[in-house]
Amino acid sequence: MKCDEVREQLPDYWTSALDEIAIAQLQAHLASCPACRAEAETLSVIWKKLGAIPEEKPGRALRARFETTLEAYVQGLRRAERGPGTREKLDKWLDAWWPRQPAFQFGFALAFLAMGLLVGYTLTQNSRGGAEVARLREEVRNTRQLVALSLMQQQSASERLRGVDYSNRISQPDPQVLSALLHAVNYDQNVNVRLAALDALRPSAANTTVRRGLVESVDRQQSPLVQIALIDMLVDIREKEAADSLKDLTQEAGLNPDVRERAQWALEKLK
Amino acid sequence: MEAQADQLVMLAVRDGDVERISVLFDRHHRMLFNFFLRLTTNRGLSEDLVQEVFFRMLKYRHTFQPGTNFTAWMYQIARNAHIDQMRKRRLEIVHDEEPDWGGVASADLNPHERMAHAQDISLLRRALARLPVEKRELLVLSRFQNLKYSEIAQILDCEIGAVKVRVYRAVRELGQIFSELSGEKAS
Repeated sequence: MKCDEVREQLPDYWTSALDEIAIAQLQAHLASCPACRAEAETLSVIWKKLGAIPEEKPGRALRARFETTLEAYVQGLRRAERGPGTREKLDKWLDAWWPRQPAFQFGFALAFLAMGLLVGYTLTQNSRGGAEVARLREEVRNTRQLVALSLMQQQSASERLRGVDYSNRISQPDPQVLSALLHAVNYDQNVNVRLAALDALRPSAANTTVRRGLVESVDRQQSPLVQIALIDMLVDIREKEAADSLKDLTQEAGLNPDVRERAQWALEKLK
Repeated sequence: MEAQADQLVMLAVRDGDVERISVLFDRHHRMLFNFFLRLTTNRGLSEDLVQEVFFRMLKYRHTFQPGTNFTAWMYQIARNAHIDQMRKRRLEIVHDEEPDWGGVASADLNPHERMAHAQDISLLRRALARLPVEKRELLVLSRFQNLKYSEIAQILDCEIGAVKVRVYRAVRELGQIFSELSGEKAS
């Protein structure tokens, strides 16, 4: 036996895998080769010592963990046998729709965003939002009317003038505002306020109360400026009911000649 | 005889009777735990790896073919689990770190002998921990797991002769480290 062969024989010798003949041959070589003998002795001691390292016990938790894992695995298998659940099917279906390219994903996201904005805008316009805006408009209108009315009751002529001006901002004034304006036309002490109130009533000339009020106002006016403005307005709104009042006016003694002339002209126009 | 029984159980597991893997756990978990403990010197990690081995057995049960040596198959999985774990955590055995071992059973020795014995075991464990991992693994498989060289050859996918030479070299290197450590201790 050569020294090299000892290297292969020793591991077998340690595990008792050598037969008697092989053991005899090995021992014969070791007896004649001090180097191999020394090494074999040292290594055999190490091999023997290794066997003295005791075996360790794992912790008890290991079995519990194993059983939990096994249980989860078995459940998973059974679920797989039953086929995918609704949730999985839905996920799969949605997943199939989702594009793989980042560019397409970006496009998808943008499209959804645009759709969302459109839907949101439409909903706001049509339902709750629309009603909300109408309610707000109504509120603003009411506030303006209130402001106009309160301004028209002020002591200062310029304040009352502002009130009349404010009433112009109301698209469809209340009967209350119209009546306040008519009152201003008839009874306000200031000519400018009366003129302004008259102008403010022009957009509401279709209203029968306004028309009747204007006709009745012909008798009450003293200022030639207002009288002429009123006559012009009655002609503009083609109020034929004013004819009698105008006729009376022309016959009034001490009337401003310009007013009389204007009234006669109006009577001609309204015929 | 037992090897035959293991193979039959594993075939049953493969064919759907997965709960029977408990039988294999009962038979082998302790050996596997010691295999990993000697490789890693870390109890917690070794338990994790045992767990991993049985999980992989379930996962790859379809690859188990009739006639396969179950023990060799199991240790192949165990080796791979250990290699993956080392890659993942880049965990190498830190030399001279106090390993996570239990006590030393030496009831039949007198107090003096018991001390010398305990010292030997401690040195040997440290020497083992210093051995390169593939040599340590080879010694663990051949010395502690009591596997035949033919089985180790199967696990490592090499010739039996090569296994024997490697075992010889591993023991020689371990001996050298052991005597170095003994010298440090003595001086």
